[in-house]
Amino acid sequence: MDKPPQSPARPPAPPAPVMGRRSFLRTSAVLTTGLAALAASLKPLLEMNDFPTMQRFLQKYYKEMTPQDMDKVLKRIEEEVKQEYGLRPHVRDLKPMDGVEFVYCLNLTRCIGCRKCVHACVAENNQSRDPEIQYIRVLRLPDGSLDIDKADHFYAPESVPEKGYFYMPVQCQQCKNPPCVKVCPVHATWQEADGITVIDYDWCIGCRYCEAACPYWARRFNFTKPAIPKERLNPDMAYLGNRPRRQGVMEKCHFCIQRARAGRYPACLEVCPAGARKFGNILDPNSEVSYILRSKRVFIQLKEEMGTSPRFFYYFDV
Amino acid sequence: MRNYFVFLGRCAGVAFEGDWRYYAWVGLLSVICLLGLHAYCRQFAQGLIVTGMSDEVSWGVYIANFTFLVGVAAAAVMMVIPVYIYKNEDLHDLVIFGELLAVAAILMCLAFVTVDLGRPDRFWHLIPGIGQFNFPKSMLSWDVIVLNGYLLLNVHICGYLLYCRYRKSKPGKWFYIPFVFIAIVWAVSIHTVTAFLYVGLGGRPFWNSSIVGPRFLASAFTAGPALIILAMQVVRRVTSSASAGVGWREAGGAPSPPPKRRAASAEDLVALTRYLPEIGTVPMELRQRLLPMAEVLVVEPGDVLLRQGETSDKAFFILRGCVVVKRQEGGRFRITRTAGPGEQFGEITALDGTPRTATAFAEEPSLVLSLSAEALRLLMQSPQVERIVRSRMSERLLITDRALMTLRSIVQVSMLINVFLLANEVFKEFYSGNLHVVSSKYLFVGLEHHHALVPWIWTAIAFNLAAMVLLILPVSRSLKWLNVTCVLCIVGIWIEKGMGLVIPGFIPTPLGEVMEYRPSLNETLVCFGIWAFGLLCYTVFLRMSVPILQGRLSKENEGAPEPSHHPPAAASPRR
Repeated sequence: MDKPPQSPARPPAPPAPVMGRRSFLRTSAVLTTGLAALAASLKPLLEMNDFPTMQRFLQKYYKEMTPQDMDKVLKRIEEEVKQEYGLRPHVRDLKPMDGVEFVYCLNLTRCIGCRKCVHACVAENNQSRDPEIQYIRVLRLPDGSLDIDKADHFYAPESVPEKGYFYMPVQCQQCKNPPCVKVCPVHATWQEADGITVIDYDWCIGCRYCEAACPYWARRFNFTKPAIPKERLNPDMAYLGNRPRRQGVMEKCHFCIQRARAGRYPACLEVCPAGARKFGNILDPNSEVSYILRSKRVFIQLKEEMGTSPRFFYYFDV
Repeated sequence: MRNYFVFLGRCAGVAFEGDWRYYAWVGLLSVICLLGLHAYCRQFAQGLIVTGMSDEVSWGVYIANFTFLVGVAAAAVMMVIPVYIYKNEDLHDLVIFGELLAVAAILMCLAFVTVDLGRPDRFWHLIPGIGQFNFPKSMLSWDVIVLNGYLLLNVHICGYLLYCRYRKSKPGKWFYIPFVFIAIVWAVSIHTVTAFLYVGLGGRPFWNSSIVGPRFLASAFTAGPALIILAMQVVRRVTSSASAGVGWREAGGAPSPPPKRRAASAEDLVALTRYLPEIGTVPMELRQRLLPMAEVLVVEPGDVLLRQGETSDKAFFILRGCVVVKRQEGGRFRITRTAGPGEQFGEITALDGTPRTATAFAEEPSLVLSLSAEALRLLMQSPQVERIVRSRMSERLLITDRALMTLRSIVQVSMLINVFLLANEVFKEFYSGNLHVVSSKYLFVGLEHHHALVPWIWTAIAFNLAAMVLLILPVSRSLKWLNVTCVLCIVGIWIEKGMGLVIPGFIPTPLGEVMEYRPSLNETLVCFGIWAFGLLCYTVFLRMSVPILQGRLSKENEGAPEPSHHPPAAASPRR
């Protein structure tokens, strides 16, 4: 018969409250290794691109700022830009004007696909150059089709225009019913009274849900700290417009809000050599855009079936 | 309140105790966690550029894992349904393990969402009341509410039930049953809301399909229970193998001599009352009637009191000492529990005549009160005794094979539904042949020069189909095959639902550009880190809850040396 293993007498219980020297050494060795490992894994934080200061961390939401709050924030932004780029910018918080609703019309017959608008936009709006962020994507489509799955995004011929193709620049369509605004969990993007959908870059948490929601692929994310050469900085800035963005936030076309609300045309329009771009106030019956939308028999709202109701109209010279 | 802190403190203490395998496992997970943390710190400093994501594919493996884990969390709690609605007692203890898994899964979900944020420092913008919360318009704000609510619900339910078990008190119905039912509805809601995150985007035809919600639920019910089946077997293994070597007398040969016995007296019942006050409610007249049918056994360590497989009408109460109950499973023995004074064993066979499910033997010199079934029934005429005996019967920690088989049938049905729904989706996409099929084409057959996901999705389909066939065949009733099947289910669904659903939604972009996505090394390390963190949480939760459910960690032994000083089964005779 097997006896179960048994110790005849129990060893005296160790004095519980006093920690033995061995276990003390072991515990402290484990603790030290653990802390060292933790410190080592936190080390990359030392190369932080963009350390949030307390002021920036606690900054209020755009719509909750009083004019005094806004003044302070604008001053601070000017100071920060000056420190970083060595140039004192003029940052304004331009409000929408009464009786104005902006609309963009683009003549597909005229567009020659030169992409000058793309680059003028980058220069005007202080987009990151490395990696380069562009708000406008020009699609090359074979004549006769509007199926954008057939579009060539990276056409690079000797010269434009090419035979057998037409070109369709796509940027934020400033929808009346914007899916991006609906999905934002923190109200960081909204539609202003003049129809421009804007982003509070200091409120965006960078979840990129709006980017997934946009049917026009119009939104861009700052995957790292934007890099803008000092000499290229455009010092005429707006809070909701082209002031330099930070790492980890969304941005997109805002019809050059710093220009449009000051009575100027967007940069993409000014640079267009073909006169394909028209911009103006749809509520003013005498504006060019009102005339175009009244007189052209066919114009296209991209992906009309989405129900987004864009304020961006494509038309033809017919 | 103070008691509760003592409870938490002791639980935390247990988490640091274990044998070398426990330390090795926890150490390994901690190292992976720290590697992940290191990778995340790089991402935090340099931005999401260190990931494989781009403006074209703006969500990647983080959100894919998030989606998968919300499913796991939802399914883990649905174990509750058979227990509380259909009164399936086999799954009783699994419920707590399930809810703990849900807690771990939700913690991982929250971690995955956080690492996906471009500005995690602005998380407070999401807090209702302090920030700007776009509720109810944004589905993401719904997700914030349902996930955090779900976490609280489950922490409450597990914490409360474990605390009651710790105090050996009966859980107050009103403190947890309503929450259990809320949690069931909530579980469906978290996964539906997560599906709506995708379904609600009209600009992404691949996601904009009403079948995504049902598909999510079906795949969750496949992967969640499959994960629990595997986890429970690990628990079973770990609690049993550590006690290998404990033997009883006849382990090597001849049966033990019959234990010394004497007639029971009224004093014995009084002695039992010290540990089991309910006995005091038994009227004198009943006591007199049952005493002739009772006797007291005087046993030495190693003496067998009852043997697995036998039938007998005897039930036992321990008057002094300690008895270990072991179960033989496929050539191995595992300790199902250790019973001390006042506790009962053998009553299931006595009451319903089924064969003994385990062998019980004395661990210490003990006194055991042995009752015939009739005597036990007399005792149970007192409603208090009846209640305590019944509740103890049901609260045994038994991860029985029957429980695993119940989980298997859940996985079986869900996998069939999941494959059916997938087939529906594939048919709709390809047969109608409209322009929206292009994402599905990319996923299943690839577009010219672009087919990164094709091998993945076909692996997933092969795994899912293989798992489905195995689940239909009786072969998956054997644990070995069931485990293979579970692994196939989990991997298959992880791919199908994570990579196979999130990524193709972005390809091509709404403007028709095809840009592929491949997770970067840094991104992968972060994912491994979060998985290790989740497993670490679950390991620690189990480490705390198993001794409580087994009754080894309880209020009664507060101040006594922690039971885990001789881990993990208190039954080891080598003390």
